[in-house]
Amino acid sequence: MTLLTGPSRGVRQGAPRRVSSALRPWLYLSPLLLALGVWIYGPALFTLGLSVLDWNLTTPPTGFVGADNFARLFRSADFWQALGQTLLYAVALLPFSTVVPLLLAIMLWQRPGRASTVYRSLLFLPVMMAPVAVAVSWKFMLNPLLGLANEVVGWFGIPPVNWLGDPSTALLVIVAVTAAKVTAFNMLLYSAALSGLDRRTIEAARLEGASSWEITRFVVAPQLVGTTVLLGTLSLVLAGQWVFTNVTVLTQGGPDGVTDNIYYRIYTLGFEFFETGTASAAAVIVLLVFAVAGIGWRLVRRSHVPR
Amino acid sequence: MNRFTRPLVATLAVSSLLAVSACAAAEPAGRDDNAETTITFSSYSYGTQGAAGDGMQTLLDAFSAAHPEITVLPEAVPVADALTKTKAAVAAGSPPDVQQLGYSKMAEAFATLPVQSIEEIAGDEWDAHVEGIAPGLVRTGENDGTVKALPFTVSIPTVFYNADIFREAGLDPENPPTSIDEVSEAAEAITATGHNGVYFGLLDQGKSDYLTQSVMDSAGGQTVDDDGTVALDSAKAVAGIQKIQDLTTEGLQPAVGIDDAIAAFSTGDLGMFVSTTALMSNLQAGATDKFELRTAGFPSFDSKDARPTHSGAGLVVLAADEAKQKAAWEFVKFMTSEEGYTMITEEMGYLPLRANLATDEAFLAGYFAENTLLLPPLEQLQNVTPYRSFAGAKSNQATVMLQDDAISPIILRGADTQQTLTEVADRIRELVESE
Repeated sequence: MTLLTGPSRGVRQGAPRRVSSALRPWLYLSPLLLALGVWIYGPALFTLGLSVLDWNLTTPPTGFVGADNFARLFRSADFWQALGQTLLYAVALLPFSTVVPLLLAIMLWQRPGRASTVYRSLLFLPVMMAPVAVAVSWKFMLNPLLGLANEVVGWFGIPPVNWLGDPSTALLVIVAVTAAKVTAFNMLLYSAALSGLDRRTIEAARLEGASSWEITRFVVAPQLVGTTVLLGTLSLVLAGQWVFTNVTVLTQGGPDGVTDNIYYRIYTLGFEFFETGTASAAAVIVLLVFAVAGIGWRLVRRSHVPR
Repeated sequence: MNRFTRPLVATLAVSSLLAVSACAAAEPAGRDDNAETTITFSSYSYGTQGAAGDGMQTLLDAFSAAHPEITVLPEAVPVADALTKTKAAVAAGSPPDVQQLGYSKMAEAFATLPVQSIEEIAGDEWDAHVEGIAPGLVRTGENDGTVKALPFTVSIPTVFYNADIFREAGLDPENPPTSIDEVSEAAEAITATGHNGVYFGLLDQGKSDYLTQSVMDSAGGQTVDDDGTVALDSAKAVAGIQKIQDLTTEGLQPAVGIDDAIAAFSTGDLGMFVSTTALMSNLQAGATDKFELRTAGFPSFDSKDARPTHSGAGLVVLAADEAKQKAAWEFVKFMTSEEGYTMITEEMGYLPLRANLATDEAFLAGYFAENTLLLPPLEQLQNVTPYRSFAGAKSNQATVMLQDDAISPIILRGADTQQTLTEVADRIRELVESE
């Protein structure tokens, strides 16, 4: 054995092996890096480039316009309204992403059995249904002259409401219709988190004489903080995208822009008016807002970590 | 790769190459010298439920029978997306060869899409073909001194009314209102019976402003004046829109979207519905066995003659290939022929665009003898004002801005008419001038 693996033979085989071991991680990573480059970072850079051009997508770009697209957006009341509405959606949907599904999941978890399974299935139903079909159904139900919703409120002596045409109710309707789906989906995620709880801590608390409420408040809830932070963050970041289908089908951003949001505005600019440069500039601004928020969040967290 | 798999892979690779080569070689051999031409046709009428969809299929079938050498592949597109879908298709390098395009989208299409001159494609056949087509409508399709769109499915606004509700309200269905003030009085009588009075469908499903233009023009104003200047905030234009807002604020017009109004009219809960004759067939179907549907001409405003603006669509050709252009011309020629326009009226309920058809026994005289609902709008066809677009590549965006940011809040939510129209007019001027 020793003779066969002598020094000269070892040198010849060692070099390629070192190269191979250095390349191997990159080879493993390459499919993912390629996909990220092609589908995420490449288009992001392309968008950045488009944001300084005046281009309607169908004729050649008319030229470099510098920061004109950004300036036009900053001057546009519609753009600021859309940004503000995006924030409003994030805040309005936050409890439906966290508190409500958490309570539902705990209630069902505390009462296991066939009824619980049936309720869970019924609550999860909105997630299974086609989003556009659901939105169209709501449109029929909310018809101000013939819809079921006004029939029902009429039983209580309330006059007909123009649910989607009145600025004071349209946003609430979009939030409510979207919340049904978000709550259902997040309830399932909370249920999954609950099934993974450390049962020994619950049994120990029970042996110590803790009440059901105390177990929920001091044993179960703390173990769901990670899930809650995740779902809350996702809600803040994605709320504007979640309402997109309902806004498209039910209100198209109206009335008076109260149901608009930045994602629908970008879509409108890009694919209805074909103002590709302005739409790209809006997308870049959204990216920057999230980047600043992310960096700010990290700095805040770092300042609170004990050294 | 071991000694068994290597030859296997090699064999597969060679077989694949041979198969591909065989296919490539077989295709030309299989072609006929008189090969048929295939063209694509993007249409917002095709594939829809009701008379428009059925009528379009009838037209396509008739063309197919008359021209077996040309295959037309129809593509359905929602009316509001007709322009945007084509823009996306152009960006992707595969525009339709022929498109049914609404007049409110036409100016932007001319500025941003590779729309061909139908006049040039038609060549020597042009003059003979367009003779007899309403000249104003042919001129509406002009751009850069040549005609790029021929009128196809054209309609004008009319007053649909429920004769049963008229009788219930003590109104005479034989004498429908002819002015906006009479419309208001009739609506007042109707609302007293518990029904909704009237609905002016200015908030069009396709985001067209043809009815906004009809109201402004009839009141003596314009959205765009003769030299192309934005004029929608002039005193007369504002006065026209104010009349429509008054109907809402006085409780005579429900503050709802047009889809809701159509549903209310079809269920017999709305007395008068002012909208395009394109809805005729669907409203007729909805009224069958429920109530007596009648029509009246578009009302006048302040003693001036009514000046309805037409809506609807023209046919444009986007095909760049010469053979496809020739096939596209045959298609457009058939669709806008006497036979084509006759079918469009009979099957789809649009107005006949050749003056002789309505009285010609060989074409539509018999149809109009039995179908009187189209007669009032047909009489007003002579007074039709051509559709006017805002200038340039952002004309559609300007139209949407007018409809969404001015007309909608004014009519539905009581926004100040003068202030709102002035603000939106300024924004449209900035938008149009920013090009």
